[in-house]
Amino acid sequence: MATYILRRVLYSIPVILIASFLLLWSVRQTFDPCAQFRTSQGGAASVARCRASLQLDDSIFTQYGHWLGDAVQGNLGQSQQTNAEVSTTITSAFWYTIQLIFWGILVSALLSILLGVYSAIRQYSIGDYTFTALAFIGLAMPPFWFGLIAIQFLSVELKDVLGTSQPVFGFVGLHSGDSTGFNMDYVRHLVLPVMTLTVQIIAEWSRFQRASMLDTMSADYIRTARAKGVPRRRVVVRHGLRNALIPLVTVMALDIGALFGGIVITEKIFSIPGMGRLFLTALLQGDVPVLEAWLVVTAIFIVLFNLLADVLYGVLDPRIRLS
Amino acid sequence: MLGAEQDAACADWINKCAASSWGSWMMQYQTLPRVFDYVKQDGVWTEVPSAAMASFPTSTMVNGKQTVTYTIADKAVWSDGEPIISADIKYTADQINTDKNVYDPTGYEKIEAVATPSPKVAVVTFKEPYASWTALFGADYGIQPSHILEGKDRDKLMKNGYSWSGGPWIAKWQKGVSVTLTPNPNYYGIKPTIQKVIFKIIADTAAEFQAFKAGEVLGIYPQPEPSSIATIKGGVPGTKSVYSAETGAVEALWLNNQAFPFDDVAVRQAIGYAIDRDAIVKRLFGALGVTKAVQSLNPPITAKYADLNAWGNYVPNPDKVNSLMTGAGWKKNGSGIWAKGAKTATFTLQSTAGNKRRELTEQILQQMLATAGFKMEIKNKSADDLFGSILTSGNYQASIYAQQATNINPGLCQIACTKAIPTKKNNQTGNNLSRISVPAADPLLEQVDTDANPATRIPASKQADQLLAADQVSLPLDPLPNIVLWSDRVGGPVGDNPVISMFWNMNEWTLQG
Repeated sequence: MATYILRRVLYSIPVILIASFLLLWSVRQTFDPCAQFRTSQGGAASVARCRASLQLDDSIFTQYGHWLGDAVQGNLGQSQQTNAEVSTTITSAFWYTIQLIFWGILVSALLSILLGVYSAIRQYSIGDYTFTALAFIGLAMPPFWFGLIAIQFLSVELKDVLGTSQPVFGFVGLHSGDSTGFNMDYVRHLVLPVMTLTVQIIAEWSRFQRASMLDTMSADYIRTARAKGVPRRRVVVRHGLRNALIPLVTVMALDIGALFGGIVITEKIFSIPGMGRLFLTALLQGDVPVLEAWLVVTAIFIVLFNLLADVLYGVLDPRIRLS
Repeated sequence: MLGAEQDAACADWINKCAASSWGSWMMQYQTLPRVFDYVKQDGVWTEVPSAAMASFPTSTMVNGKQTVTYTIADKAVWSDGEPIISADIKYTADQINTDKNVYDPTGYEKIEAVATPSPKVAVVTFKEPYASWTALFGADYGIQPSHILEGKDRDKLMKNGYSWSGGPWIAKWQKGVSVTLTPNPNYYGIKPTIQKVIFKIIADTAAEFQAFKAGEVLGIYPQPEPSSIATIKGGVPGTKSVYSAETGAVEALWLNNQAFPFDDVAVRQAIGYAIDRDAIVKRLFGALGVTKAVQSLNPPITAKYADLNAWGNYVPNPDKVNSLMTGAGWKKNGSGIWAKGAKTATFTLQSTAGNKRRELTEQILQQMLATAGFKMEIKNKSADDLFGSILTSGNYQASIYAQQATNINPGLCQIACTKAIPTKKNNQTGNNLSRISVPAADPLLEQVDTDANPATRIPASKQADQLLAADQVSLPLDPLPNIVLWSDRVGGPVGDNPVISMFWNMNEWTLQG
């Protein structure tokens, strides 16, 4: 297993290097890191100083070399808009996003597996039809719309119905006021953004899990296990579910990367200063150092989750790691 | 809790990274002493000495040079108990004049020296007369503490927030999340009665209104966007509101006077007669009771320096459009577009992409201009591209954006004097982005900048307005109204201040429940 993991890690390194080079190249083709100095007091001289400091007149390979050399030492430069260290900015934003993603994945995985398995083993029941209908409704819900609707009904309207001074579910940040930490206030603020982030994912994964489970449950070895008298629960959980999870793991690993897209909207609506909002702000302001770092960190994140998926394959199906 | 539409970018107010107005509103004005506050007296916004000053500063001529004497109040101290002193004024001026990344040194670069004859008296001598001296050490940079910052890296100490204060509040900044204000126990003015004020950063306009409706925040100061105005019109129970068109902003159709077809004064004037500006303002802000276009490039808060009817003649008049265009040799082609030789009166308008208000204005303009025989194409850009390169390079024909004043002094020379056109000679640093050149107006605009005598300064400013309007150098459209919304639970003198925002006097607010 260790050799298998090491091999996968080694495969990831060139992928990250190539991805970071292409990202740096594309950002520098799109934005001028020295644009802000054009209107400064120094004018042309300031632009020249900026270009020299970033070695923009060198080839893109040399520029990448300098950037990579600094990046591996933890120096991702300074934001052009805030003068803050990019590494600090990214770390702070990443912490908020990780919280959302963690809870989002946890809730999505649990619910979608439960719903998918239930729908598969109770195929064509009322419950199956209900969850199927809800899944299609969920798939049709754009997060930006669902988020605003959720705020309107589960926060604004519900507060009026209950007659409370504060809404039951908060939707500005992850805490009220300046409180911090894991507490009821945190949970109260987490419900709506996690719902917004996961509504489409749960719909998609539960359908996927249902199909995968149906496929597995009709396999010969399941029939054999049942014929040998293995209890139904044990067949479903130990033989059916374990194998039915393998395709879902692939989809989950890929979707976690895609979650960053949904995060942009969710974080904006719910005023959460995570990676999504950081990206949007940096993009609109043309903050090149932040954009470069954001894209590379995101690429690494996606590669890591693909790596995790590979490792999980090995755990779930020993034939994969042995081959 | 209050809603804030943007976070601060940084808290080093001298550095150009501190361009966010919200940063100033939430932290700078709450923590830095300034020379002046701005209040409305007899219907006119006026400077009055702030609590940090013992008296209104005096401006006199000494040995042919303008000198301004600032006397700081004896009671004025920083939060650590150290007195606010003349050396703080000197330190602030020195930093602005020597920092390589200063936000805007306008006015400070005219300072020759700052003398500190006593700890509470600072005497500023100018290299040349500077009429807008009241703009200095005010809402732009305030006064900074020399005893904390002198000889140290100011940017490093301040950019991520700071714990000292010379104002009514001490600010704690949690980036991207909130700014928490707690009373400064050593404040020398009216002490805050509210124990804690928290600004929550809510970047999404729809969510901001929902947060206000739901009672998550008790006050908001939203941008006048079409969607927010529609929501306001619907009303929010248990809240109060103020809308004000007396602001520091003028949004205009800025024409590049050196680019075809606006290098022809007849075309510029014809454009002025082709557009129903009142109809645009009514469409944008009619729900707030703002229905009239502005008639000067001077913003409403500098009204006493403006000819408030300078552009008043530019009302829709198809006959005038026809006579001006035909008089300049233009004829309508088969498509109904004005043409001269091989060229047609077609131009591209570039504004900030994603700004719904400007996009709506563009659509209305496009329709009006098409009716009058002008073809306007729209190619909006990111704010970074537009202000960073397109406007400064002059590679555009027309644009829509707002000029924002941060004090109540006039300053049109910066954007309308010939010498302010960006050229190689001035390292492309001029701010006359419309390349306006009206030689007769130049000396008047320069006089407005240097003549401290209101009796001659005001007429010069009004005359300059008339000359710029006669040439129709650009077309002022709308004042951007300020919108103040707050809960019934908040009491005290809540209202708008066009210079230092609705939050300037929170130390006098009260909170019920």
